[in-house]
Amino acid sequence: MRISDTMLGGVLIAFGAALAGYSQTFPAIPGQTYGAAIFPTAIAIGFAGCGGLLVMQGLRSSGRHLEAAEWMLDLRAVVGVALTVLAITGYIWLAPIIGFIPVMAAMLLGLLLFLRVRWPAAVVLAVVVTIVIHGVFAGLLLVPLPNGLFPRIPW
Amino acid sequence: MNAIGAAFELVLQWQVFTTVLLAALFGLTVGAIPGLTATMATALLVPLTFFMDPVPAVGAIIACAAMAIFAGDIPGTLLRIPGTPASAAYTDEAYAMTRNGEAEAALGANLLFSALGGLAGTAVLIFAAPALAEVALKFSSFEYFWMALLGLTCAVFIGSAQPLRAFISLFIGLAIATIGLNNPAGVPRFTFGSTDLLAGIDFIPAMIGLFAVSEVLRSIASGVPSIGRLQTATGNIFKHWGGMVRTYWRQQLRGNALGIAIGALPGAGADIAAWVAYAVSRKMSRTPEKFGTGHVEGIVESTSANNAALASAWIPALVFGIPGDTITAIVIGVLYVKGLNPGPTLFLFNPQSIYAVFIIFVLANLVMIPLGWVTIKLAKRLLLVPRNIMMPVILAFCIVGAFASSNSSYGIIVMLAFGILGFVMEENRIPIAPCILGIVIGPMLEETFVTSMIKSDGSFLGFFERPIAAGLGIVTVLIWLSPLIGVLMRRRRAGASASSQ
Repeated sequence: MRISDTMLGGVLIAFGAALAGYSQTFPAIPGQTYGAAIFPTAIAIGFAGCGGLLVMQGLRSSGRHLEAAEWMLDLRAVVGVALTVLAITGYIWLAPIIGFIPVMAAMLLGLLLFLRVRWPAAVVLAVVVTIVIHGVFAGLLLVPLPNGLFPRIPW
Repeated sequence: MNAIGAAFELVLQWQVFTTVLLAALFGLTVGAIPGLTATMATALLVPLTFFMDPVPAVGAIIACAAMAIFAGDIPGTLLRIPGTPASAAYTDEAYAMTRNGEAEAALGANLLFSALGGLAGTAVLIFAAPALAEVALKFSSFEYFWMALLGLTCAVFIGSAQPLRAFISLFIGLAIATIGLNNPAGVPRFTFGSTDLLAGIDFIPAMIGLFAVSEVLRSIASGVPSIGRLQTATGNIFKHWGGMVRTYWRQQLRGNALGIAIGALPGAGADIAAWVAYAVSRKMSRTPEKFGTGHVEGIVESTSANNAALASAWIPALVFGIPGDTITAIVIGVLYVKGLNPGPTLFLFNPQSIYAVFIIFVLANLVMIPLGWVTIKLAKRLLLVPRNIMMPVILAFCIVGAFASSNSSYGIIVMLAFGILGFVMEENRIPIAPCILGIVIGPMLEETFVTSMIKSDGSFLGFFERPIAAGLGIVTVLIWLSPLIGVLMRRRRAGASASSQ
């Protein structure tokens, strides 16, 4: 999705204003002029300044405010991006409950099939990659990947 | 001398050699796959370095990055798809050589001058860094403030075609840097009650998100295009080496010097070095008309420059803790984790580690020649790894790597958020590099500013009272004013030419 300069500028100004407003709630350091608020406030001014310049640029060159990037006209691509984000969200949510191995294998299988890898190859790949990653990270590097409901793997 | 001996002892161990070799192979593979950058290779490698000793950890990153920058030339030459952005400057030229049936000459030039460029950059790193560290020992918060500001300024003004969008990226990075408890006042900022956010944004998952996840998303958005036919038939790549060094040693040296200078500037790295070197080569050439038709001259100069920049980017990173490019930005994070806090005192208290880093730099660039030769030979297989298989596998590595940085799901959440952020930024032509430098340099900028203000009792004059601080300050202000000065000069010239007519 391409956002026009005018709109991006507007968003930046609004964000700058929110940032500056929220920063004023930070307590001052007693006896000091420059406390926790100075740096975020300066950044907020920077955002607003950039936003202002962008709005000026955008107003000069008229165009639509929201433009679909090329890939967005392709439904498959949009579904692909959404699916990838969903897959990661699903992993974050499910892996601690069900366990790394089944969730990761399912995620890989889903994505591989979506990207038109053939069934047998996708199943083998999903399982092998999951086991290899688990072996390296949990076995070799002792990263506590969640087991969940899945039985412990002896490495 | 003791320190140098200790450094060799640190390096000459089979674990170190194996790690460096494996990291080099990893870098070659990732660099050779179109669309995967050297920075992404580094970001994916970092979670593994958590589990290594400091020297092999840093060595792995050096080897991986150097190989990836070289390997990016391979798909550029054979397919006209740059493997990494640092190869983009001369991809057309190299591909034209392939079409003329000179692929082996182009790849040979890439390999030889990459290695030599890396060695030249390393030589300067070895001599300049300790000398600069001596100077940096005298620095106070005023000088560090200006150094940090200069780094950010270079990132915006030198590192991008559109300073306005680079500024937006920079402010995004600075805003991210303010999150958490880690500020001079010790006040929790923008944590919204989350205990995870109190420690600030975890840097490593953020990098994995910005560089790897965003690339996976982009690749899937573009329908994971398969790669077209491959031009192969690469002959003996070593055949032309003697001739090229004799004919183009001037271009090589100039490329090295340019690369070193641009790399050492905070905020500008190998990508920019390659573009500038290619342009300079064309301008200085006796046969500029041959450029673009498959002429090796520009390739020699820019491939010498990008690998030289890679090494010299470590100068500001090691001496001041200010990254020279996105790769060293990640390196600084790793150095802190490994207890090798970058800064001049590192040279005083830990010289053996610094020397070990230098030795690994030399080793990595030497080992590049045999490994690079093997990669070129295997290029056909490597380039044809189906991308629809690569992308899910990369994503799986991202998730586990992000998890391993904090051993909690928080890392994966940060990774996902930054993956989406990076994707949206690139979609809207906002460069990512200034954002990273903002995240790394932001805390230093704030801390040195507040400390300096406390020291000078709130007077801004303090920033110009010490000679080095004043010099750095003037340079920074001049760079800010440079667009304005440029406009004024052009107006003047236009006015002068109008009046003379």
